[in-house]
Amino acid sequence: MDNDKVKSRREFLQSGVRLSLALALGGIGGLAVSRLTGDDYVWQIDPFKCTQCGRCATECVMSPSAVKCIHAYDLCGYCDLCGGYFKPGYNALSTAGENQLCPTAAIERKFIEEPYFEYVINEELCIGCAKCVKGCTSFGNGSLHLQIVHSLCVNCNECSIARVCPSEAISRVKASQAYRIKGGFTQESAG
Amino acid sequence: MKNKWILIFLLLLAVVIVGVMVADFKSTRPDQIASNPFEYNVDQYKAVDSALVLYTETRNLQLSMQEPAAIALAGDRLFVAGDQWVQVIGLQGKLISEISLPEKPHAVAATPDRLLVATKASVLVYDPAGKLLATWKEGFSESSVLTSVAVAGDNIFIADAGQRKVYRFNPSGEKILEFEGKVNDEVLHGFIVPSPCFDVAINADGDLWVANPGKHALENYTFDGNLRGYWNKSSMEVEGFSGCCNPAQFTFLPDGNFITSEKGLVRIKEYKPSGELVGVVAPPAKFQDDGHAPEVVADAESRIYALDFDRKMIRVFEKKER
Repeated sequence: MDNDKVKSRREFLQSGVRLSLALALGGIGGLAVSRLTGDDYVWQIDPFKCTQCGRCATECVMSPSAVKCIHAYDLCGYCDLCGGYFKPGYNALSTAGENQLCPTAAIERKFIEEPYFEYVINEELCIGCAKCVKGCTSFGNGSLHLQIVHSLCVNCNECSIARVCPSEAISRVKASQAYRIKGGFTQESAG
Repeated sequence: MKNKWILIFLLLLAVVIVGVMVADFKSTRPDQIASNPFEYNVDQYKAVDSALVLYTETRNLQLSMQEPAAIALAGDRLFVAGDQWVQVIGLQGKLISEISLPEKPHAVAATPDRLLVATKASVLVYDPAGKLLATWKEGFSESSVLTSVAVAGDNIFIADAGQRKVYRFNPSGEKILEFEGKVNDEVLHGFIVPSPCFDVAINADGDLWVANPGKHALENYTFDGNLRGYWNKSSMEVEGFSGCCNPAQFTFLPDGNFITSEKGLVRIKEYKPSGELVGVVAPPAKFQDDGHAPEVVADAESRIYALDFDRKMIRVFEKKER
């Protein structure tokens, strides 16, 4: 009777160790699989919530900011008088620096055909100040908008821009859907 | 003695930590942050000198529609198209009748004997009782986006923002001609329509006027599509039109003055037939930021009825008494 009792305790300990090992291995395996197949999260701007306050240029830990202006060409009117390119009180509709709204001349104005012009963002020069976005949103179709560029973003645990964003436009999104480009991303889909 | 100094040190450390936390909390609150050198403030363009505002808002007519789309006025009745209805409303706001539509309307025009409703690429013709008389589909294409209808006797003008053309139809639904507003000299260009804001209207003298929003122009055409005259004004100040697509909407007062409605900086203004600014009907402060340009119509008493798409209501503006 006693032998049986000792045996069953040993068996109990053995099976307990085996079970623990199996659980640990299963857990590690599951974690590895989830790391391989699961989605990470990254920070991104909802262009419909953004109020173009300019904080993306000053608050990002990266210098210049990882936030850049993106152009949704299918929404653009290709206007001659572009509210995102020309500053108020411009002298002429020309590419002279005195007429440009962008503080770093990061927007290239290209003639397409009379009277249409294409506006291309030079990402290296863009500091994410949103001046052009404000101009385009206030006076035009709103085709210019800000996005966090993930090849530049270091994905801080707490985004320093999100902390001060007055419209709470920055949130974590799935890495598989890391961008919210206007056109494909609509106000309706934003919810 | 030693413990006492440790206690004092810990207390001081706690005070410093709390101080740093409070300072950090206050400094990162959005309303506590110093002004941003990169902020582009367009508020100065929204501000309008009160002396320029010649009208006052006297009434609002709330609509029972989710998506109001267009408004027309004939006699003492307003015709509001939206959802899949046209609501006939008295000038005091009383709902008179409703006409069911087979699809979403884009524009509406009314005459004493017929009601014309433009959808994306067709025109529905109704009699005053709401009976469907005809559906015009010939003459439009898949890329058509009809945005405005205006009637002058037996001539029906339809603006197509998708094709950037104006069509002239007869009452039988036959397209007589179409024109793109192109002229040979370099003064003007054809219709430039970057967004679905492309309006046509007939003034009290029976003249056809077309908005060329990409050129910030109002252009007068013969019924054969020949340019007769125009005026334009590009400016971010109140005197002119700015952005991609303005004036987005317009109508006429009985004296021939223009009433224009703008998107972007949403505002309604009055201009003389020559293009000189008379004054402001409704400044941007009256409308939602980044809202839609209200469609405007005017009655025989020069009251302006603005269809506010964002607030889903008709807002009535009357000239202030001097």
